[in-house]
Amino acid sequence: MLTYVIRRLLHTVLVVFAISLIVFFAIRLTGDPVSVMFGAGEPTREAIEEITKNLGLDKPLYIQYGLFLKGVVTLDFGTSYRSGMPVTDLIFERIGATLALALGGIVVAILIAFPVGIISAVRRGTPIDFFGRIFSLIGISFPNFWLGIMLILVFAVTLKWLPSSGFDGFSSLILPSITLGMILSGILARLVRSSMLEVMNQQYIATAKSKGISSWAVIIKHAFRNALLPTITFLGLQFGSLLGGAVIIEQVFAWPGVGRLIIDAINQRDYPVIQGGVIFLAIIMVVVNLIVDLSYSIIDPRIKTGKGSN
Amino acid sequence: MKKMFKTRLVAILAILMLVLAACSSEGGKTTTKTEGESKPTSGENPAASRGNEVVVGISSDPQSWDPIDTFLLDWSTVANSVFEGLVERTLDLELKPGLAEKWEYTDNNTIVFTLRQGIQFHNGEPFNAEAVKYTFDRLLGDEGKKGPQYSNYTSIESVEVNDEYTVTMHLSNADPVLLTKLAGYGAVIVPPGYIEEKGDENFNNNPVGTGPFKMTSYKRDQEAVLEKNENYWKEGLPKLDKVTFKIIPEPSTRLAELQTGKIDIMKRVDVAQADTIKGTDFLELKEVGTPTVYALRFDTAKEPMGDVRVRQAINYAINKEEIISTILNGYAKPISTFQSELSFGNNPDLKPYPYDPEKAKELLKEAGVAEGTALDLFIPGTDGNFKEIAQAVSFYLEEVGLKVNINSVDGTTLTSDLIPKGDAGHMYRNGWGGWTLDFDNTAYLMYYEGELWNPSFKDEKVEELLRAQRASVDQTERAAIFKQLTELLYELAPEVNLYQAVDLYGVNKRLKNFQPPNEDRMRLEEVTVE
Repeated sequence: MLTYVIRRLLHTVLVVFAISLIVFFAIRLTGDPVSVMFGAGEPTREAIEEITKNLGLDKPLYIQYGLFLKGVVTLDFGTSYRSGMPVTDLIFERIGATLALALGGIVVAILIAFPVGIISAVRRGTPIDFFGRIFSLIGISFPNFWLGIMLILVFAVTLKWLPSSGFDGFSSLILPSITLGMILSGILARLVRSSMLEVMNQQYIATAKSKGISSWAVIIKHAFRNALLPTITFLGLQFGSLLGGAVIIEQVFAWPGVGRLIIDAINQRDYPVIQGGVIFLAIIMVVVNLIVDLSYSIIDPRIKTGKGSN
Repeated sequence: MKKMFKTRLVAILAILMLVLAACSSEGGKTTTKTEGESKPTSGENPAASRGNEVVVGISSDPQSWDPIDTFLLDWSTVANSVFEGLVERTLDLELKPGLAEKWEYTDNNTIVFTLRQGIQFHNGEPFNAEAVKYTFDRLLGDEGKKGPQYSNYTSIESVEVNDEYTVTMHLSNADPVLLTKLAGYGAVIVPPGYIEEKGDENFNNNPVGTGPFKMTSYKRDQEAVLEKNENYWKEGLPKLDKVTFKIIPEPSTRLAELQTGKIDIMKRVDVAQADTIKGTDFLELKEVGTPTVYALRFDTAKEPMGDVRVRQAINYAINKEEIISTILNGYAKPISTFQSELSFGNNPDLKPYPYDPEKAKELLKEAGVAEGTALDLFIPGTDGNFKEIAQAVSFYLEEVGLKVNINSVDGTTLTSDLIPKGDAGHMYRNGWGGWTLDFDNTAYLMYYEGELWNPSFKDEKVEELLRAQRASVDQTERAAIFKQLTELLYELAPEVNLYQAVDLYGVNKRLKNFQPPNEDRMRLEEVTVE
């Protein structure tokens, strides 16, 4: 188990290194952070040269990359060109909002998708199943910005029940979580349904049923638990990508998350923030993946991580 | 039989679901449109309970409040209430004494400022000559050279303290626009003791100035809270106790906040949202002309754009009035050169090129441009309105026998990479308008050889006139030079001047005395609430 974890962590180092290369060189392909900085000002050639020098952007690329790598190792990504603040501070002040939204979205998705998926599978082929599947389809096809704006119009503008934007207490979390959760739940419900169907065809389910155990107990205890595995993988990966990938929802609900930070930084070519943000998300993604893999052995004791991974 | 019934039921349900799905999206759209019309019946103002506080919804967070770090319009919207300069520019765009009581040019390169006495920064530190010197030393020193502000102030050589309340500003060369530049942005006066003690990083998040409001809390990308400066030097001002600026990037969400009374002022109302605001009885729509102008600029190095007849032909071929009235619903103004009517140097005698497709065809024929010649047009992909405008342009140019390929690209790449390198096709969208409202700011950057946004245009006479107006501080003389320059540029047609942007503000009617700013620099000290 321990060697497995260590080996996985070594993988992480390789992954982060590869990502550092990609992000560093890719953002330098187009655009220039210095002339963007001028906004409404006068970007004269002399001023652009001067600032380029002051930001160290005139140094050869391999030196800049070396400095960046050194920063990655010491977890010091430098200071943002725009705000003058350390990149790590900028990321950490947003972590709370980001985690809250990702968790909120996942909880909503689970609350909707698990019952829908399970019932669809159990009542396969009935109108209930049909409804369930249509529901998933709608969930998948909704553009999330549209759903977000519609929810704002209904629940904030017309009914005045919930705030339309901002990050201010539990009530402000509801609409963005539903928006995020609805989209996730479509895919998740389908996944739960198909893995449930697969498990329910297994012999041990028939055995359990024949022993006279009540059918719901069989479904929840025997079938659902075994159908959880692919679902957990999916949720783990989704959680990782939600941390940086809920940009549109963050935009619609004025949510101060990491995704918006990185997108704004990309628009401004704020290199240190883009680099730091992407590396940070990559590390989280790898860690979440590791946790997901480790959780398998808890859910399904047959999987022994040490040998199983070979 | 039973089975058949089931299949039918499922089929009926399926159809129902599809219809429902279709309806729900249709219905959703209608809600957006009729929202404004259905609201007024309610009658009551949802913001009434907020009292003597005002909340403003803005679209982006400048990220740093330090005046020398950024050069962003949204910075000025907020920071104009926190900081002040030696000179003040009113909402009617007049220059008035600000923190300086008066000033005098002792010669073209020397200005002596007499400062107001008894003014304190928000932290209690006194405002005096040392603070002025510190501000400009910082702006023009190492700290300032990391940011975009100092290049605007390079004409200032040094600031000398004469006594506690007089300073002399020595200039390296005459700068006709300097006084305007002293009225904001990089030249606002900052507190030396506070910055030295707490450091630059702290100042980014906790700005201290002399303005009517002091910033008491700031949550990045969320809100900045300003409270009344009890010791403000202008008698009886400000009238509000508190102003909160909320950062809400999405226009539909800002509008929702305005409709629910969560904000009192909405900045950057989209053209499509104007009717909703007009239809809500506790809201009003305020429009104001801005310095920002939009043009399709030509890269004269790309054939056939080097031929002035082709450039003029394209000017004749595009119906700008139609674009303004239909796509922009009239919320824009026609322009004849690449500047707004507010700009010093604008020539009101020049009228925009009229829509004359016949004349355009003639000119193209004269220039020997073959029917069906293809032109590349580059536009930023983020601007939805402009995509429609580009399509209209493409239509008009096809009418005179040209073919347009519209390339929609990332906005930052376009302005910071493609345009400077001359990789933005035969023509590209360029939006510009300096806050100084002086044609110098625009014309020099756009038409002088070697400047960032001038990949290829070159005209000796234009450059001579640009140098001449910069060398003079005599505004009458400069006005005459600009008249000549604008006439020349009109003939040379280095761009199709499309329109001057109009800014729309949604305002809750409980506010009194709110005048929207032309150039985003909001002033709220005179604003009261009912």
